[in-house]
Amino acid sequence: MDIIREETMSKGVLLFAFNNDKVDYYAMAIATAKRANKFLNLPVTVVTDETTDLSKYDYEFDNVVIVEADRTNFNAQNEVWINKGRYQAYNLSPYDETLLLDTDYLINSDTLLKPFELYDDFMCHNRTSFLMIPNHYQEMLSDQSYNTVWATVIYFRKTSKTKQIFECMEMIQKNYSHYTTLYNMTVGNFRNDFALTIALRIVCGQTEDTSHYIPWNLVHVGKNTHVYRDSDTMYTVIYDNWQRGKIRKEYSIVTDTDFHLLNKENFMELV
Amino acid sequence: MDTKQLITEAKARFNHNAAKAYLKDKYESKLSVASQGGLWKADSLTITLLAALTSPAVVVIDTFGNPVMVYREKLLNTLTETYETVMADWHMEWTSLEKKR
Repeated sequence: MDIIREETMSKGVLLFAFNNDKVDYYAMAIATAKRANKFLNLPVTVVTDETTDLSKYDYEFDNVVIVEADRTNFNAQNEVWINKGRYQAYNLSPYDETLLLDTDYLINSDTLLKPFELYDDFMCHNRTSFLMIPNHYQEMLSDQSYNTVWATVIYFRKTSKTKQIFECMEMIQKNYSHYTTLYNMTVGNFRNDFALTIALRIVCGQTEDTSHYIPWNLVHVGKNTHVYRDSDTMYTVIYDNWQRGKIRKEYSIVTDTDFHLLNKENFMELV
Repeated sequence: MDTKQLITEAKARFNHNAAKAYLKDKYESKLSVASQGGLWKADSLTITLLAALTSPAVVVIDTFGNPVMVYREKLLNTLTETYETVMADWHMEWTSLEKKR
């Protein structure tokens, strides 16, 4: 009854890091890579573009893959946001089993090794929680649509099904305005989370296959929340809770827990 | 400025509900166990079921909803060990956070 995994399969982490005028994503990728080396003992490959001056940085990735960046997407502040092209992960990953992470994901434990022990070929988070905001709602594509799944942490093995999922993400990215109309999505700019949500549904025959979900929540640090470092894996989280026009400061302490930090400046303060 | 001083000067209060939710997230992820071709949660329901059954090999529904035939005692031992370790850690961290104001 025991399933024996092939021990010869290569394992590693893949990061996409394209700098813009405001954010040094490559430096963030280095910080994340160092923590992946330390806590997961895995090699890290980075995907970037030719505008990154590699001589500025003194970290040696397992591989550096140079691709052409797609600069046609903008964030809410109307800044260039190079998040397109994530679908290339399948072809660009040099590993048999890959953890594809956002560069602003702060690794503080070996929890992410668990998907390598599980038996599915593709896994991502379908549920989130926010530090300091218990019972935060789950994001949906639109009011009458699906719950969003998250591209922040993706585990995949190279199989034909996984290949289809990434090819489907490419199709959705290239026809994004069609899909925003089809799914009545309120956010206009391209998000990998939305592309993945739709791709996973299409590949699974418009059904929900729960075996593709990582069986614990993706932890976010959201707005009005600031994280302060106490030690390498211990943090104090302070939250500005607005009540009747006044801020009430609240805090908590987290240890040995991975989280996704939406505030890039705060991320760089911690690493 | 260290964080203790920051908390004092900001007059920040410890949010026990947030701490409780964070601990649940943290330790539930540690209760997941892959074994014998299935994914299991080392919770009281699964452990009680395995303890109550008597056959050496039984079929149990795993976290993904798949029926999986398992060696009952082996899985019971794995899940019990995981449960005891994780719950002890959960309790210890909760006890230390519970005292904060």
